[in-house]
Amino acid sequence: MRFFIGAFAFIVLLLFSVSLLLPTKEKRVFSDDSLREAALSRDMSSTPKTYDELLKLLQIDKESLFREKVDLGRDLYFEKALSKSSDVSCATCHVLSKDLKDKNIYLDALTSKVNDKTDCVVCHLSDLSATDRFETSIGDGGRENPFHLNTLTTLNAALAKYQTWSGSVKSVEEQVGLSIRDASQMNLSSDEAVKRLSLDVSYMKKFEGVYGELNFKNIEDAIAAYLKTLITRGDYDRFLDGDNDAMNKKAKKGLAHFLNFGCKGCHTGVSVGGQSIQKFPLRDYNSVVDVTNSFNESQKGREVSTFDFNAKMYHPFPFENKGGFMGKDGQRLFRVPMLRNVTKTSPYFHNGGVAKLREAVHLMGKHQLGMNLTNTQIDEIVEFLRALEGDVVEFEIPSKKGEL
Amino acid sequence: MKILIIIMFLSGILQYSIFDLSWEYFRTVQAMHIMGSIAIALFLLIPYVNMHTYEFMVVKKVKSLSGIMLGITLFFIIISGIYLFLVGNRGGDIFGTLSFYVHLYGSFVLLYFLFSHARKKFHAKPLVVLFFALSLTFVDSSYANEKLTNIKIEEGLDGYHNEDWTSSAKCKSCHEEIFNQWADSNHHHLVGTNPYYMVMENLAGADMGEEFRQWCMGCHNPSAVTTGEKRTTHEMDGSLMPNILFESGSKRLLEDFKAHGNSRLEQGVSCVACHRITEADSKGNSAYTLKIRDREKYAFEDSNSEVEQWLSEKFINSNPQVHKDSYSNKLYKKSSYCASCHDEFLPDSSKRAVVSTFKEWEKSPFNNPKDPTKHKDCIDCHMTYLKDGEFAPLKGHSTDGGVIKDDVKVHYFSGSNHFLSGLKSKEHEDQTLQLLRTSAKIDIDIVDGNILVGVKNVGAGHHLPTGVSDFRELWLDITVTDAKEEVVFSSGKLQEDGNLGLDARPFMKVFGDEDSKPVGLMFWRYKKMISDTRIPAGQRRVESYEIADAKNLEYPLKAVVKLNFRIYPQWVTDAVKRAYPQLPNPDVVTLEKIEKSFGK
Repeated sequence: MRFFIGAFAFIVLLLFSVSLLLPTKEKRVFSDDSLREAALSRDMSSTPKTYDELLKLLQIDKESLFREKVDLGRDLYFEKALSKSSDVSCATCHVLSKDLKDKNIYLDALTSKVNDKTDCVVCHLSDLSATDRFETSIGDGGRENPFHLNTLTTLNAALAKYQTWSGSVKSVEEQVGLSIRDASQMNLSSDEAVKRLSLDVSYMKKFEGVYGELNFKNIEDAIAAYLKTLITRGDYDRFLDGDNDAMNKKAKKGLAHFLNFGCKGCHTGVSVGGQSIQKFPLRDYNSVVDVTNSFNESQKGREVSTFDFNAKMYHPFPFENKGGFMGKDGQRLFRVPMLRNVTKTSPYFHNGGVAKLREAVHLMGKHQLGMNLTNTQIDEIVEFLRALEGDVVEFEIPSKKGEL
Repeated sequence: MKILIIIMFLSGILQYSIFDLSWEYFRTVQAMHIMGSIAIALFLLIPYVNMHTYEFMVVKKVKSLSGIMLGITLFFIIISGIYLFLVGNRGGDIFGTLSFYVHLYGSFVLLYFLFSHARKKFHAKPLVVLFFALSLTFVDSSYANEKLTNIKIEEGLDGYHNEDWTSSAKCKSCHEEIFNQWADSNHHHLVGTNPYYMVMENLAGADMGEEFRQWCMGCHNPSAVTTGEKRTTHEMDGSLMPNILFESGSKRLLEDFKAHGNSRLEQGVSCVACHRITEADSKGNSAYTLKIRDREKYAFEDSNSEVEQWLSEKFINSNPQVHKDSYSNKLYKKSSYCASCHDEFLPDSSKRAVVSTFKEWEKSPFNNPKDPTKHKDCIDCHMTYLKDGEFAPLKGHSTDGGVIKDDVKVHYFSGSNHFLSGLKSKEHEDQTLQLLRTSAKIDIDIVDGNILVGVKNVGAGHHLPTGVSDFRELWLDITVTDAKEEVVFSSGKLQEDGNLGLDARPFMKVFGDEDSKPVGLMFWRYKKMISDTRIPAGQRRVESYEIADAKNLEYPLKAVVKLNFRIYPQWVTDAVKRAYPQLPNPDVVTLEKIEKSFGK
């Protein structure tokens, strides 16, 4: 009996002393300026405000980005003839308003005589997210993506080093061509695309003026030129540019976590992601039944538990992997997603398996960083991610002749 | 073992109200008392008593009165303990109350016999008797309300976490009827499941900037506002929007809770949103004080484990006073409680009133504190059950197995919106329509070719209509036929496009902008009132119409007058249908109808 009492007291004492040893202080405390410095020194930077800064960032010259080309690219972005059945354009999935300055698009959509928009678009057109927010993309003829992959935003896409979920595409130009030809996207051959556009006199004229001729490469180039102007700026950029009040206290704390915890290791660069290809989940997930959270009450329910993944012996992801996509070469290698405007692009991960941003942050912390983030930390990181929201910059782009 | 029994006794009486234990200790002590007693009884006490009784009464044939008494008392203590644990003292059955008192006072008796039965006599008898007597004098003292509400307003917090907002789905396990009433009521469908709201909040954001959404969300979505959400969102089923309009019983909320626990925020006005309001007034938009995090929770209440949840329910049921006290408040019976949301102002320096339901009530004859028989608060009409068109306070219980109440305050929240709740539940629609039909009486006279129709607001303690009365249509539909049954006068018919005819004279208010042009959907642009034809409480309005060809009328005339109501004008529904094509058109509801013949 005495032995048991002694053992019990020992265990209690041990647990108590362990709790005292655990670190309670934050790793580093930043002042506003040192936070900015830390972010900038880690390759994070703000988006350009002017046309010249944009050229510098994209490392292109004036001859490859001018007003007529961008206008042509914009027309093509909204051109439904570029899909086999002529009922989807780029803007069908990458939902965007043609006139970004138009503030009345929503009211007009509600009250106009003609009903030319789908119900989702009526409300979400004014979000300016450049994505459809479905779990999976739906292309020409209503065909879903065979891997249940969801639509990525075209905003800031030109700033990424790698495109698509697997990161196998290296430039926006290449991606535009692939999207037009892909059977589950616009499903139109390059010859047919050129043929269709050449029937339209106004397009012929525009291509003549911009390139001298109409061919598929120039279609790709024009749309890519438009994409290069879809750059967003928000509170985060103003903070990096020196405005300490641009981000609130909570968001700054979130940014500090972002730097301290190591999120910035992958989500980096001006696009806050899209610069590298990484493994997800980092370690083999769930090769045996996952019990890591069985004793952690606060985290229960965070995991996507609507399906019984724990009962299966092997499941590659901490959410249901509809479509079975396994990344580049089937190795769970994914392009690191860009976090700019991430608040507008739910549902999350390649197949939209996670609906809520807080859940996605939790899963990232757990599986990529090996940390169980606390509720407060998740709140702060989410507040920082909100600061990454931004509006499309209205660049003053000169014409081909250099006129403003 | 005696020491253990005494510890259990002490932990039991510590929960007793005279000690007024601080909540943190109470919940721990309670859990310890219950779990400890079960363990001790099962593994020590019962085996020991069996052995002991067998040894002394059967083998040694010792006669001990105190022993027998001790045994009997112990039996009652254990039985009442088991009852309290498994069924609880919910108030609905006499056994619960009986068990509670048997358990409480029996423990003193038990202690008395324990001492007298002990080999070494303690001189404790007088002490136990004294204690027992002392306790009797405090029988009716309950947990001091002041103490519970003394907890300071959660200053220093800059917001809640999702987890703080206990899901309403959790309340269902014990308050199923009330939950089901709320589930299809308009108070539940204030956000993602309400197409009109979603379109309007979006429009407000587009028109006035994203920040402006918080104005709407203050009352519609308190959980999102306090967790720092910037906008109201709706659910998705994969790539489709679920058909939320016709889904009854909050199925989706229950499933979400099962899958994600409290980590997923329940948007909108949940049970705790209202039941954890500590202060409320009508001084501004969403002017109420919440205390969501500082709550008196029983042990394991927040647990996601099913076993622990089950246990926490048992803990509550066995001694539910604290639970009751933390979710009810005298304030909740007063009209000023509702005022914090049912009076709305423009969020600028003008503080122009958009909705003034509470202020209308304050000035109405329904607000009569001097004569309690005539005084009627919001809940006396809007939370009272209706049957056959009359108020029929519902006899029943609000907790499963709870005490039978004479007037259960039903949570249908009947008001005027029969439409959205009606798509989900006919019972809800019926309750609202019955309430609407108690509101007005109409009369008609034809004098010299003039039709005079009187409309009296007899039942509403506020204007008719109230609330967002710029989006409510209440009007007179009049048809007068002559002897040949030919229509000689008609007013208040719908046009082909579903909109109300221009000749109709709806009782409503019309907001205008600076140039006195109607603001249409964007009521936040309201600068000048164009017209206000609503009928104040208790007042009668007479509308007069001229029959064009009054001289050549062929008598007798027959007049049919209907008082019609439509929850949203067609042009509003048309706009909302752009985003929600599956939305049906709201019906025109006839509240009153009279037919009368007139001779010359």
